[in-house]
Amino acid sequence: MGCCLLRKLNEITSLCNQKGDRMNKNNMNIIKRIVGTGFIPLGTLSIILIICLLNGVTLFETGGNWLAYYRAAASTLLITYALSINLNSGRFDFSIGSIALLSSVMSATLSMKTGLPTEVFLVLSVTFGVVLGMVSGIVYVIVKLPPIIVSLGVALFFEGLAFTITGGYGVSFVANKELTSFPSVTNYLLIIAISVIIIIFIFDYTKFGYDYKALLSGQKVAVNTGIQENSNAILCYGIAGGLMGIVGFISATNTGTIQMALNFGSIGAMFSAFLPMFIGGYIGKFCNVKIGYLIGALSTALLSLAFARLNVDSSVQQIITALTLVLFLIYLNNQKKLAELFKLKK
Amino acid sequence: MKKLVTIILCLTMLSTTVLGLTGCGITEDNKTTENQTTETGETTEAGENNEAGEIKIDTSKKIKIGVLVSDATTAEALAFRNYYTNYIGKQYNVEFIYSDEIVDAAGEKSAIDTFITNNCKAIISFSSFDRSSQIEQTSSAKVYYAVATGTLTDDEYEKYKTYEYYVGAIGPSLEEEYKAGFDMANYYLEQGKTNFAIFGGAVPYYTEMHIYRVAGMLEAMVKAGGEGANYLGATDKAGIIGQIYTDGGVATGNIGSINILGYVGGYDMDEAWFAKGAQMAQTPNLDVILAVGNGSDFFGTAISGTEVKIGSVDAYATSFGEAMEAGMLDYLAGKFSASIGPIFIATYSAVNGYPIRTEEGNALALSQGYWIATSYDEFTKYYEIDSSIEKPAYAKAALDTLIGSDYNEFTSFVSKFSFEEIQEITQ
Repeated sequence: MGCCLLRKLNEITSLCNQKGDRMNKNNMNIIKRIVGTGFIPLGTLSIILIICLLNGVTLFETGGNWLAYYRAAASTLLITYALSINLNSGRFDFSIGSIALLSSVMSATLSMKTGLPTEVFLVLSVTFGVVLGMVSGIVYVIVKLPPIIVSLGVALFFEGLAFTITGGYGVSFVANKELTSFPSVTNYLLIIAISVIIIIFIFDYTKFGYDYKALLSGQKVAVNTGIQENSNAILCYGIAGGLMGIVGFISATNTGTIQMALNFGSIGAMFSAFLPMFIGGYIGKFCNVKIGYLIGALSTALLSLAFARLNVDSSVQQIITALTLVLFLIYLNNQKKLAELFKLKK
Repeated sequence: MKKLVTIILCLTMLSTTVLGLTGCGITEDNKTTENQTTETGETTEAGENNEAGEIKIDTSKKIKIGVLVSDATTAEALAFRNYYTNYIGKQYNVEFIYSDEIVDAAGEKSAIDTFITNNCKAIISFSSFDRSSQIEQTSSAKVYYAVATGTLTDDEYEKYKTYEYYVGAIGPSLEEEYKAGFDMANYYLEQGKTNFAIFGGAVPYYTEMHIYRVAGMLEAMVKAGGEGANYLGATDKAGIIGQIYTDGGVATGNIGSINILGYVGGYDMDEAWFAKGAQMAQTPNLDVILAVGNGSDFFGTAISGTEVKIGSVDAYATSFGEAMEAGMLDYLAGKFSASIGPIFIATYSAVNGYPIRTEEGNALALSQGYWIATSYDEFTKYYEIDSSIEKPAYAKAALDTLIGSDYNEFTSFVSKFSFEEIQEITQ
């Protein structure tokens, strides 16, 4: 049942993105594009602000609220990119959470032991993330098993490795002022901006990106034209790994600790990316899909902040998030029918 | 003639066998005090009583003991594991077989099945999803079962105390958990602190020990809050516990002159949870965060550079030492890793034929408390002993005195759990 659900999710994602790409955006009215792009985030913000108003809560009351918002936005955006890169190609990657865990464990341990500054900590996290991602990709290419199975195995291996490196105790640098100095609105904004630019550049303006898109729209034809599908897949895993390295870094510098996860405990990270990915895929009809993911992440981060500000119980949070996701998927899957229904009424 | 020879041969063989068996029986009777039969039909020899009446257990054969764990990654769990596998196992020739991180009662059942198949003579449980089922399952398999760092409820104890294969439970009782919360809050209240935030840990999941710790904190606040102070109308322990169970959390607001400015529960570890935590830690005028579990790892960076202090109930791990040294954490009620030594000995003793029972022949139900450190120096002193696998708090020499001991002797040993008392006992 789980596999069927994942397959269905995969189909919807692909459908969603293809629809977005196929639509002739240039012919679309500029106002329609602006409305289409801004509808979900502005709608979400409006609803949240009204709820906050009714509860006598100010959404952005302190600097800490802004910080929490942009941190959530940055993490969610990076996870969304990391997940979508492979998922759009039909590769469900459960190992991304474990890559964030292991890369941050390795880089934090090294930084603490050698007294490296935060900037180097970040570079190391990205580097380890890329390497671990490529390892995951190489395993996938070599063993030729379904990516779900391979990524589960890799996730277990990376989790175990992180556990072994730290002796199970995780990493703690709560008292290390240098390594915990990173969190700031400016830094999170920089991460968001740089990652959006780099991802757009890589996937829209390089040969690798064109190959990726060619493989996406027809793997057999693309391979026949000489595109190396294996190296493209490994690079995709590498890029996703690098992004997850930054996620691990953000998480570690936020609390000054890295908690261990075993028995697929790291998988949860990827689920936070589904809602923004579907929102992004939908918004992709009106703008670049990567911008769509950004807007999806910003909208989801609004939701996270609202949960915190309104002190919503975690069980209620889960229900709201799940309902939103399901309703959105139902809408995406029935867009045509709904459009016809409205036309008939008119 | 041939027939006669056959009859003589048969009689000779029979007599040899009978004599041999009788001889063996006499020897065994002299040597053995009690034999234990496991599910697999194997017989475990009990130890020996020498002429001086001391019990000597043959440690040449390795004994397997299964350990059920629902947590494999926290500092507390790792410290316990370190003590068992790196010290106790080597000293007593015991192989500890650990379960995976169990997440539900079905996992407990499956892990116990695996232990039984692996010929484990006993099971020590750190997992509490369904204690009753665990006891029933192990008893029917005739495998000894003990609860470490926890206790049964009164009803459960009444039901299972007479079970032969239920060794007992040693750990902080709910009273002790309540006291830990009370003492921690009181420590700050006596300093004149009035603005608190509470990290409730597993309170939303209705974990009893965390509920009792929080209830202890709240009662301390009620007592310090002046005349008429109450927590949502409750002024006593029962009322406060009932209120927490009703709400599944803690309400912010005033308890007389004491203020609860923030509360976070659960271990969601998602963006909303971290935002809630940071929001709580950065509440204006906040004095102290009282955490039922790990406080400094979750909120340490959020209070960095402020005067806010954190008090935690957890274990002795390096990260807490660093937080104490940095001035973030200034109160730690920690379980010490060797606290699980006595329950091991009770189990080991039972496996070897010397069960330690109450005077009425019931299973053990003993409580232990925490080591409390309020300064980095104190932390260092405790941590040094707690993390040692050469000279742990309860070393073999001390534990050996408990094998086959009577109930009063055993109880007296366990009840002296403070750092100073243990030092006195072991020296």
